[in-house]
Amino acid sequence: MRRTHIAALAVPLTVSLALTACGGGPTSAGGKLSGNKIVLAVLNDQSGVYADVSGKNSVEAVKMAVEDFKAKYGAKAVTKDIEVVSADHQNKPDVANSKAQELYDRQGADAIFDVPTSSAALAVATVAAQKKKLYFNITGATTDLTGKSCNKYTYHYAYDSYMLAHGTGTTVTEQGGKNWYIVYPDYAFGQDMQKQFGTAITAAGGSVAAKDPTPFPNDNFSTFLLKAPNLNPKPDVLGAMQAGGDLINLVKQYNEFKLRDKGIKLSVGLMFITDIHSLGPDAFAGTDFTDAWYWNMDQRARAWADKFYQRTHVRPSFANAANYSAAMQYLEAVQRAGTDASDAVTKQLDGHSFDDVFARNAKIRGEDHRVIHDVYLAEVKPSSEVKEDWDYEKILKTIPADQAFRPVADSAAAGCHLG
Amino acid sequence: MRGHGMKRWGILLGLVVALALPWLVYPPIALDIAVWALLAISVDLLLGFTGLLSFGHAAFWGTAAYATGLVALHTGAPFPVAVIAGAVTAGLLAAPIGYLSVKRTGIYFAMVTLAFAQMVYFIANQWRSLTGGENGLQGIPRDLFGVDLSDPFYFYYAALPLVLLGVFAAWRIVRSPFGRVLVAIRDNPARARALGYPVERYKLLVFVLSATLAGLAGGLHAVGHGFASMDDVHWTTSGQAVLMVVLGGIGTLWGSVIGAALVVQLEDVLATAGFDGTGIVTGAVFVLVVLLFRRGIWGTAAMWLPRARRLPALSRLARRGPGATPSAPAPEALVKKGA
Repeated sequence: MRRTHIAALAVPLTVSLALTACGGGPTSAGGKLSGNKIVLAVLNDQSGVYADVSGKNSVEAVKMAVEDFKAKYGAKAVTKDIEVVSADHQNKPDVANSKAQELYDRQGADAIFDVPTSSAALAVATVAAQKKKLYFNITGATTDLTGKSCNKYTYHYAYDSYMLAHGTGTTVTEQGGKNWYIVYPDYAFGQDMQKQFGTAITAAGGSVAAKDPTPFPNDNFSTFLLKAPNLNPKPDVLGAMQAGGDLINLVKQYNEFKLRDKGIKLSVGLMFITDIHSLGPDAFAGTDFTDAWYWNMDQRARAWADKFYQRTHVRPSFANAANYSAAMQYLEAVQRAGTDASDAVTKQLDGHSFDDVFARNAKIRGEDHRVIHDVYLAEVKPSSEVKEDWDYEKILKTIPADQAFRPVADSAAAGCHLG
Repeated sequence: MRGHGMKRWGILLGLVVALALPWLVYPPIALDIAVWALLAISVDLLLGFTGLLSFGHAAFWGTAAYATGLVALHTGAPFPVAVIAGAVTAGLLAAPIGYLSVKRTGIYFAMVTLAFAQMVYFIANQWRSLTGGENGLQGIPRDLFGVDLSDPFYFYYAALPLVLLGVFAAWRIVRSPFGRVLVAIRDNPARARALGYPVERYKLLVFVLSATLAGLAGGLHAVGHGFASMDDVHWTTSGQAVLMVVLGGIGTLWGSVIGAALVVQLEDVLATAGFDGTGIVTGAVFVLVVLLFRRGIWGTAAMWLPRARRLPALSRLARRGPGATPSAPAPEALVKKGA
């Protein structure tokens, strides 16, 4: 009887010892390039709500960046061996976290791109800091990435809640939309947006007549929409902070209640061109929002969008273009550094100013790793003005880079001190 | 006596697999399998052995995840202490929820537990200063008296004893006289009551125990990943746990482990498979298993083994097979009882 007990203990112990002897744990490689190649990893949602906005088309955009980089440098390129890998995090932060570790450790990824959904975005930032590998977040909206969760290896591209709120809030107020009625979904992003819009509107000389949280998810907004025209003072603008399916419901009902005819314009906190595409431009016509980039905003953007269209048969969202730009800037920094060692690359990135197809008048801020660039206040065209597929936006105003994003001092106050 | 020896070797085999797991699969995934298995086992304790379908275990898993994270972040306690604190919190939360829920059975019990879990979800969503809202509670440390556990490979071995403790507890519960009474309550509550057993008190106790085990798993998941998020308290987490139990086999305990391994691996493989329909695949697997293996993977294997008795090599195993827990109920039996 006792013998069996001892055997019961001995066998697993022996096995585990034998296995431990085989090695394991992380290994590191020397040389100029880790693994003698550069591996770019796109980690995003390829099957859920963000699949259309970014998803597989962003993987394609990163591949385009690799091709353009090779074409630009030819034989002088730091390496010809550049690989693009991708994974679908299904919008689950725990999957994102495990996959990020796996991409860095097992697939030899030198940099991870994209990562929508703020909990997933922040979870990957922790992994990047731990593994000392680069991470360019594109589609996460949380300012925590350049605030309390900022770190030496994480960069934040394209947009965040501050940029959306200040872009739309300030500009629309300055253009005459003085009184606002804000409806926001009752979760962290919505509450954040509501606060930031409030600050921006007041600073621009407007006022918030009322603000109401809406349940999330929600398909009936009639109580809020019926209330809007009877508020005192009567609001000029309805500020909707909803996203995705909720936004679509709200916009449909806004149209049914004919609020535009009653003198209440619609401004949306966060909207992607794919939202307009799915509901048709007429549903959104006249809606103002802040866009990080628009494919048809000038010749340069359009030329790139044409190349993108040939490969994917859709027009790029700003997320696609930002992924392209981030991958390109990363490769350029590796080229300048002559190595993919993370610390050498961050030295090349920090403080770097550039201008590319996505980011105009751009600068990578060394202080908080926010990548700043011009952003745009856009209005959705009615279908009568739409000349071709995906031609949905009219750029009303360019918001210069240094006004569009959160000032460095505010990032520092939020807990980011990178130097 | 010989049958007893077989069982021991079965457990031994399980231990070897548990120890070798991070060599076979990617270590963070190995940890996921272990903690999800424990969650599924805690659900099976109620579903398979007491006949209660809990659709709200995310509440306990998630509450423990947040509690563990907060303890680890604010006190700097070593991770096992934080995890146990999380498990205790889940157990405490389960007392009032269980007290109110066990008065109902079947589908009503499932709905009441779901309702409570949704309440916990909305509280977690609103209490942003504590939980971080949908940004999650990030950067949970995994401290163990200064030992560096940042490598998930080593963390797996640090966490494994706690998981095994939980599995052992579940195994002891179902094999104790208390566990026998639970099975009696599952099969015929009126008769159990007539025999003098306080049915509701038994149910409440097993509910709290189950929630504590779910909490243990949730806390380890939070420490393992370094964060707790709204996903942890979302109803899909409860659904996933029930899915694992049904896939593996209701009322078998070990089946839950198989189910967890299958679902976690599937999720992991599909993430890099470049295939759009992750949900379609998981759903199809579920439908197939339910149609072809009514008793789940483990339950079906355990049922087929006695039929293979004529094969000499298997006959010994069959006599006291690994799934020898008496009469795992078929799913439809549970639903009927709920009516």
